[in-house]
Amino acid sequence: MEDEIFEQRTNMSGLNSAVEKIKASLAQIIVGQQDSIDLLIAGILADGHILIEGVPGVAKTLTAKLIAKSINSQYSRIQFTPDLMPSDILGTSVFNPKTADFEFKQGPIFGNIILIDEINRAPAKTQSALFEVMEERQVTIDGQTYKMQEPFTVLATQNPVEHEGTYRLPEAQLDRFLFKIEIKYPSLQEEIAILTQQHQHNTVNQLAGVESVLSGDEVVALRNQVLSLHVEDKLLAYVATIIHESRNNKSLYLGGSPRASLAIVKAAKAIAAIRGRDFVTPDDIIYVAAPVLRHRIMLTPDKEMEGITPDEVIAQIIQKIEVPR
Amino acid sequence: MLRCLYLFFFIAAINCGICFAAKTVIVKPVVAKHVTVKPKTPPAVLKADSSFINKRGFNKADLQAYGKQPGFSYKERNDARSWWTRFWRWFWHGLVAWFLGLFHFDKFKGAASYLALFFKLVQYLIILVGVAALVFLILKIMGIDMFYIFRRKPQVADLAYDEQLENIHEINFDTEIEKAVASHNYRLAVRLLYLKSLKQLSDAALIAWQPEKTNTAYINELTDVQQRSSFKRLTHQFEYVWYGGFLIDAEVFGRINGMFQDFKTAIV
Repeated sequence: MEDEIFEQRTNMSGLNSAVEKIKASLAQIIVGQQDSIDLLIAGILADGHILIEGVPGVAKTLTAKLIAKSINSQYSRIQFTPDLMPSDILGTSVFNPKTADFEFKQGPIFGNIILIDEINRAPAKTQSALFEVMEERQVTIDGQTYKMQEPFTVLATQNPVEHEGTYRLPEAQLDRFLFKIEIKYPSLQEEIAILTQQHQHNTVNQLAGVESVLSGDEVVALRNQVLSLHVEDKLLAYVATIIHESRNNKSLYLGGSPRASLAIVKAAKAIAAIRGRDFVTPDDIIYVAAPVLRHRIMLTPDKEMEGITPDEVIAQIIQKIEVPR
Repeated sequence: MLRCLYLFFFIAAINCGICFAAKTVIVKPVVAKHVTVKPKTPPAVLKADSSFINKRGFNKADLQAYGKQPGFSYKERNDARSWWTRFWRWFWHGLVAWFLGLFHFDKFKGAASYLALFFKLVQYLIILVGVAALVFLILKIMGIDMFYIFRRKPQVADLAYDEQLENIHEINFDTEIEKAVASHNYRLAVRLLYLKSLKQLSDAALIAWQPEKTNTAYINELTDVQQRSSFKRLTHQFEYVWYGGFLIDAEVFGRINGMFQDFKTAIV
């Protein structure tokens, strides 16, 4: 009915089919969390890294593993610990007595889908090893640069900062994550559904029945398609105004960076694609604004003391800006 | 055999040690004899002081000149002070005395001066706090955010939005739509049609118009299922034209215009 006048300029059927397959694959195990799953898929399509935050036991790691398993590509997992060294992630040069030369032994970061579990359990020294690879998709060691293979996505999980044995991630690293997805406790109905579904199953082998629905090359192709979606100039100005306002907001000590502006546009495109459109609307922008900005902005100490959350400030900023219409 | 030889040397060594110890000489102490010697003292000779003594004194004129200088005046001139100053002087003196007596500091030399200095500082501090409180109160009454004064002023983004300045209740939609259609600007005409429908919904108190709300927010505000469905359809067309950049011609505009006219009839 709605498409009787206008037809899509881009063929979105392949993308929509892939999204539906991933959702169906995740729905086998994950109950609820529809918004989180949408954002995870959007993050993958927007070629971004995703930070998943939640209290212990809300299936952060399981969700990330499911997403990783849905894509048929090289998957590696790094469990972050307080004594982890940068070379444990990136790799190191090892002397080979046969050739009498040093050989670079690649670390677990060399993969396509990297799951970093409990990322905030490692100190800043270790975190800084991820700066180059997350932004520039390359690792430079001993003067040699190693390019990452596409697709390259980091899915990281973390406990809230105030939990025991955790560190706050450096701002420079947080800015490199496209989304920070907060996984909340399930509702009562969802909890009952989880119990009904899971109580007779072995939780260790949950992923055994999950099959890959997309190849790495298909993911790259979908990303290129998302990148080509149309964004009206007025909406670009709308995004710029939101970010600009965040830099001058009295409740914020640190506002959004230009990387945040780009992230909002990329993420809004991905959400528009998931919703079956080849153009972005203000609703897409508003939908992704909080997940893109909540880990990038810093509240002033007094607002933090008052218990105000970054999401509330983001909502206030958006409410002040006129929607281009 | 070797063991016997070792044993022999060991016993011999022990015997030699015992013999050496037995030959130790015992020295008897020698008692010294005390001898007393009487010193020979020469007879005392008294010498006369023949040096010249220059007797010096203070110049009275100079003393008087110094005495006239205010720096050498040690008299307290209470009469020159105002009653306010005298009150505070009396207050602080009393406070110092009371404090000294309270903790028995009056037994220590110099305690009073240190305490007086301390209270002097306290006095200035109280005045400072009072002035600050007064300034704060004035600014608060005037509604000025004190902390905001010291912050950088926000730079307002210069966005070329003609649409931002629009108020849907002030636009003459019929005239503007006619103009847009006449100039074949169908995209603008669809936009004006959509804004007109928002005005109609707002006038009918079906939505609360606010420029910051999205189209979806307005759809969700509609409680009537039929109206919601119709408006959702209009929104879809508007979004394709306005945000999607889809080109439309007179024929497509005619169809969209028909939808808007139907919607207008439905809500009136």
